[in-house]
Amino acid sequence: MSNQRVSRRQFLNYTLTGVGGFMAAGMLMPMVRFAIDPVLTAEAGGDYISTGTSIDELSDVPTRVDFSYEQKDAWYTSEVTQTAWVYLDENQEVVALNPTCKHLGCTVNWEGRESDPNRFFCPCHNGLYEKSGKNVPGTPPTAPLDMFETRVSDDGILQLGQVVPNTIA
Amino acid sequence: MIWNTKDITLFFQEQKYIDTAVVPLLPVSFGDQAKQEADQAEFIPLVTALLEKQFKGRMMLLPPFTYFSNESTDLKLQRMKQWSETLKEKGFEHVFLITSDPFWREVEKEISADLIWLPSIPMEHMDGKYKQKIIEDQVSQLLKIVVGKWQTN
Repeated sequence: MSNQRVSRRQFLNYTLTGVGGFMAAGMLMPMVRFAIDPVLTAEAGGDYISTGTSIDELSDVPTRVDFSYEQKDAWYTSEVTQTAWVYLDENQEVVALNPTCKHLGCTVNWEGRESDPNRFFCPCHNGLYEKSGKNVPGTPPTAPLDMFETRVSDDGILQLGQVVPNTIA
Repeated sequence: MIWNTKDITLFFQEQKYIDTAVVPLLPVSFGDQAKQEADQAEFIPLVTALLEKQFKGRMMLLPPFTYFSNESTDLKLQRMKQWSETLKEKGFEHVFLITSDPFWREVEKEISADLIWLPSIPMEHMDGKYKQKIIEDQVSQLLKIVVGKWQTN
C-alpha cells in the first residue's frame, strides 16, 4: 500500500482537472483545426495525377494515355476519364497534348485520317494540327491544342497536371 | 454539346457547325421487362455520353425520349415521328436514335431518322475498368457509323 494518503479534496481536484481538461481540449481542437485549415490545404491546388504509364513506354510517336480522377458536381461524385496524346520531343522532353479540339471541343486523333500522316485530325469539321499541336491554317481551328503540365515521379511514372496554353507551337 | 445551359449558349453561336442530333430512346415499365429496361437506362446513357465527348462540336445530345413500353405502337410511333421531324425542321441534317429496345427495329423504316440499335449489356456486376472498356468498344463501332453517315452527304 502507498503511504501517501490522498484526501477526498485532492481526489476531487484531480478528477475535475482531468475531466475539465478533456472538455476544454474537445472544444479547442476543432477551432484550432479550422484556424490552420487553409495552411493544410494550400498544397492541393497544383495536383498532379498519376497516369500509370511509365516514361519508358513513350516514344517520338504520340500515344494515347488515359488517366482518371474524381470529380464532384454538386453532391454527385463521378470518376472522369481524360485522355492525353503524349510523346517525346527531340530533346527527349515529355510533351502531353490535350485532345480537345480548339474549334468546338471534339476529340482529335493522331493520324485520324489516312491522307494526313503526322498530324492530329478532328473528325467533326476536318480540323488539322501539326505534331506540336499547331493548328494548320485553312482548317476550322483557330488556336493550337492545349498542353498538360507534366512531371515524372521518382519511379518513372508520368504524371499530368493542369491544362495550360501551348508553348511549343 | 449536351442539353445544358452552357452548351446551349454555344449552340446558338455556332449553329452552322452542328448538324447532328442524338436522341437516346428509353422504355419504362413495371412488368417482366423492368430489369432489362433498367439495364438499358444505365447502358445507353453511358454510350451516348462518350459519343458526345468524341463529337462534341458537331452533335447535340438531347435528353432521352422516354415512353412506357406498353404504350400503343401507334402512339409511340407518332410521337417519335414528331421528334425526328421537328429536329429535321430545326436544321439537324442527321438525327441518330440510339436504343436497345427491340421494338424500334420493327418500325425502323417508318421513321425518317437513323436508328442505331445496340444489344444492351448488363452493367450490374461489372467493375469500373471493365465497364469502361466495354463502353469504349461499343462507341468505337458507333463512331464509324456516324462518320460514315457524315461522309455520304
